[in-house]
Amino acid sequence: MVAIRCAGLSRRFGSLVAVAGLDLEVEEGEFFALLGPNGAGKTTTLYMLITLLSPSEGEAYVLGRHVVREAEAVRRSIGIVFQDPVLDERLTAWENLEVYAFLYGLPLKVIRGAILEALAWASLEEAAHRPVRTFSGGMKRRLELARALMHKPRLLFLDEPSLGLDPQGRRQLWEKVQALRQEGLTVFLTTHYLLEAEAADRVGILDRGRLVALGSPKELKRRVLGQEEGSLEEVFLALTGRGLRDEEVSPKERFLSYRKRGGEHSR
Amino acid sequence: MIREVARPWAVGVVWIFWKREVLRYLRDRSQAFGGVSRTVLWLLILGYGLGASFRDIEGYTYSQYVFPGVMVLNVLFAGLQSAIVLVWDREVGLLRAVLVSPAPMLAVALGKLLGGATVALIQGSIPLLFAPLVGVSLSLKGLLLAWLIVFTLGIMVTGFGVVLASRMRNFEGFGSISNGVIQPLYFLSGSIFPLKGVVGGVGFLDIPEALRAELERLGIHTIGGGWVVELPLWLKALVYANPISYALDLLRYVTLGYAQLPLGLSLGVMLLCFVLTSLGASWAMGQMRKG
Repeated sequence: MVAIRCAGLSRRFGSLVAVAGLDLEVEEGEFFALLGPNGAGKTTTLYMLITLLSPSEGEAYVLGRHVVREAEAVRRSIGIVFQDPVLDERLTAWENLEVYAFLYGLPLKVIRGAILEALAWASLEEAAHRPVRTFSGGMKRRLELARALMHKPRLLFLDEPSLGLDPQGRRQLWEKVQALRQEGLTVFLTTHYLLEAEAADRVGILDRGRLVALGSPKELKRRVLGQEEGSLEEVFLALTGRGLRDEEVSPKERFLSYRKRGGEHSR
Repeated sequence: MIREVARPWAVGVVWIFWKREVLRYLRDRSQAFGGVSRTVLWLLILGYGLGASFRDIEGYTYSQYVFPGVMVLNVLFAGLQSAIVLVWDREVGLLRAVLVSPAPMLAVALGKLLGGATVALIQGSIPLLFAPLVGVSLSLKGLLLAWLIVFTLGIMVTGFGVVLASRMRNFEGFGSISNGVIQPLYFLSGSIFPLKGVVGGVGFLDIPEALRAELERLGIHTIGGGWVVELPLWLKALVYANPISYALDLLRYVTLGYAQLPLGLSLGVMLLCFVLTSLGASWAMGQMRKG
């Protein structure tokens, strides 16, 4: 079965075309990585697939459901780990998971068990009743992953999940993801860390809203570099050039820096 | 939208968002501290300070006069604070997880409003602890009515805040909300000066005729031995245009036993604002899903 199907998927913001006529299919059980420089349209594509943005043109289906017309069914069957944590830092790990369990309408009888299971899976039993703001980046990520899996989704979206993690935290995260893949979960990843994409079944490289390459890491190396040796990074640079892509600072980054300075009511 | 909420798990969503608001409040002592310090400043320091030279308003000391206003001030802070967290939630917090979940936004909005109103009820009750000190005594019936008004006002203010927060893209601190929204609403609600009131009881009649005419031109009249002050028209217009004035006047009626505005009008305005802000907040939260 096809897990994700995009046909002519496009999104404009005013005159800016963020995603231009994307055609893409991802099979169920596949580990797919979407790569691209800053501003290439990765996050916009992801946000359309997870129903946070509606397409300007074209269509997308997730697990056979239309992302606009059947948005609720799509939401019910997918799990998402965002770039930066979507946890309530004032609440404990337990309370965060509880909020999530209620959001997905888990039956009251199973909520306690599901929370315990998620905490055990994330190795956070001991920290269960500590406020999340006392957690390290790695602990937050593990909690987020456990949270995203609580309602047993069939498709997991990971948006730059390694951002801000140390090598230990990153390794731990990928071990968890690999274990999930063994269970047949479809994983859709966007990332800057090309090394992580080496493990993907297939890779798509997006540039200026268009898909410029699609295939397994080996295929891409053969096609672009003429050999199977080398890294995806070389493929990536050969396809997207070496020019720097500077973006204007987003409101979110402004928020984060305000929070780092300890701005009032920012937690 | 209504059918969505009728499903049983929507009740769970309302409950968990109510709980989240209350837990967040309990974890942050600074909010309770703010409520106590505002009460001490306005009720005791300003109340006794101005009361020393003001004598009384309609027979009430200045501390007593500002008493319901201080309750309202705490509600304004609590409700808007609950709502404004949405701006953070959207960019770097829980809200994105909510938006990509199947939970009905109307249930989320309802939980938010009830949670904000509960926090407002707790914060708005802080001045009640000081009531014996300033000589305000409440019957049980008066207390229950006061709580009802405070809770309803809490929903209104949170709802208004949710609409406000949903329109905000940038946010550099709560200071702008405090100075730009809370303080104007508070000052222009008849909280700290009467719309029209007998201030003091010094013999107006002892003043020479010419001076008395001059004072009347300035809007100071007399009834019996008291001075009746009328606000300038522009200021009066602003107070009448401010919905908070009506809720405050109802609260003044149940805590002090006197009202400056017709009771029916106050009730009507409050009911209307309650409906408008609740609908507005639900609509605004529903809109957040449409990217």
